[in-house]
Amino acid sequence: MIEVTNLVKHYGDKKAVNDISFTINDGELVGFLGPNGAGKSTTMNVLTGYLSATSGSAKINGVDILEDPINAKRHIGYLPEQPPLYMDMTVNEYLDFICDLKGVKDGRKQHIDDMCELTGITHVYKRMIRNLSKGYKQRVGLAQALIGNPEVLILDEPTVGLDPIQIIEIRNVIKDLGKKRTVILSSHILPEVQAICERVLVINHGEIIANDTPANLSRYVDIDRKMQIRVAGSVEKVQPLLARIPEMERVIFEGNIEPETCDFILEPKSQIDIRKTVFNTLANAGCPILMFSPVSASLEDIFIKLTAEQAGK
Amino acid sequence: MFAVYKRDLRAFYTTPIGYVFSGILILIMNLCFYFLNVETSSSNVKPIFYLLLIGLAFLAPILTMRLLSEEKKMKTDQLLFTVPIRMTDIVLGKYLAAMSVFVISLLGTFMIPLILAAYSVSEPWAIFGNYVAIFFAASAFIAIGLFISSFTENQLVSALVTWTVLIGLWLVDLLVANIEIVAVKTVVSWLSVFSRYSSFTYGLFDLSDIIYYISVAAVFIYLTIRMLDKKRYA
Repeated sequence: MIEVTNLVKHYGDKKAVNDISFTINDGELVGFLGPNGAGKSTTMNVLTGYLSATSGSAKINGVDILEDPINAKRHIGYLPEQPPLYMDMTVNEYLDFICDLKGVKDGRKQHIDDMCELTGITHVYKRMIRNLSKGYKQRVGLAQALIGNPEVLILDEPTVGLDPIQIIEIRNVIKDLGKKRTVILSSHILPEVQAICERVLVINHGEIIANDTPANLSRYVDIDRKMQIRVAGSVEKVQPLLARIPEMERVIFEGNIEPETCDFILEPKSQIDIRKTVFNTLANAGCPILMFSPVSASLEDIFIKLTAEQAGK
Repeated sequence: MFAVYKRDLRAFYTTPIGYVFSGILILIMNLCFYFLNVETSSSNVKPIFYLLLIGLAFLAPILTMRLLSEEKKMKTDQLLFTVPIRMTDIVLGKYLAAMSVFVISLLGTFMIPLILAAYSVSEPWAIFGNYVAIFFAASAFIAIGLFISSFTENQLVSALVTWTVLIGLWLVDLLVANIEIVAVKTVVSWLSVFSRYSSFTYGLFDLSDIIYYISVAAVFIYLTIRMLDKKRYA
């Protein structure tokens, strides 16, 4: 259980984290979503005791990290944005050192083996960390966070810099871990958070602007019903046809990607489904639709929406 | 503390730093011994230990330059500061690791007392006094270097600043002799890490000198801990 109350962190004049509060229950898998520089890493660094807060409190399993850091840290496994690896050590020496640091004594060998198994690094166990690929370094970092079986895992952008296959693998590992532990992970990739998290905190400019399930968050994504279409025919002919549809708010010409076709972005008036109308209109005019796809909103669009909504409140 | 100590001590010898330090220190000592004692048939070890002290002002930065700078640069400080150990343990572990490398190197000069003893010219207390003196001086130098390495993530800057400070202290020491005003002389002599060294070398153990060196080391270790804590509030 993580309880953050009115947390503020200033770097000089800059407010990195501005009065945020949230609670994360035992066994929850929560994502911090936000663009770079939103305050995700700073929040994590305060939660793990790396940085001190300007004001506010952060409790891990009831222990305040600012008042009793040693005991609070016993509950936390932390993977910072850049895995904290010593390049001059082998993987087993490194994990052994982590056991020393975290005071893991009984069954250490077995514990290290289990964590290596879990993160898929058993076969690089004897290699120098310096010589590992980025993906494996990330996994060694993850294994490090898991040493000592902490109840709370805090993972800062755990999939950054990995190739697509590694991303899927790491995501699965995290999902598995989330079954028994409380996990916070940060990301600036919307689909990633949607894919693995049960709840999402959207952070921007040091403030939480949404705290919701991925499903509810998608509401913001699909709300516009924007469409991208490719039509056979000339711009001069097709554009007026589309613009004449009464439910249409805006038609934006996107260029001629295939020869003798034109692409448009269609923005209907407030959430009306215009697909049938568009199809019939163009079919009647003898301009067949070659492609029809919804445009999913980007993270930026969601931010704009959320912040606008907040300002409106 | 032991975890950090063990790792740092190991790191000195998985990188060239430990070997370079030990090598240069042993080389200086044995060369000096050869030229100042063996060649001249002198049994006075004071000059070689004084040269070692000056040498240490140049060498200590090699030991301390990466202690905290490297952690910051590689972001491994994020590991150390988020595991359940105290800042004091981290700093002491690193300090003791550097001290251990120094002591290991000093052991490499064992030929000197052995040779002197073989020719039965040894003055055991004077030799022992010199070893104790260099040990305490090194504990102060290394603490100063450790403190400076907490400021920067650049090893070179860390080494150069430490080098400048230690050489500066030596120059202060040379100045003290020429200062006439008693008050200024007293204050400046407090800074003089080097002059306190001499009484040891005669085999005289003045408690106040020992306390002085221990205090300097303690103050800088304390300041290092405070410095690292303060950075968390930045």
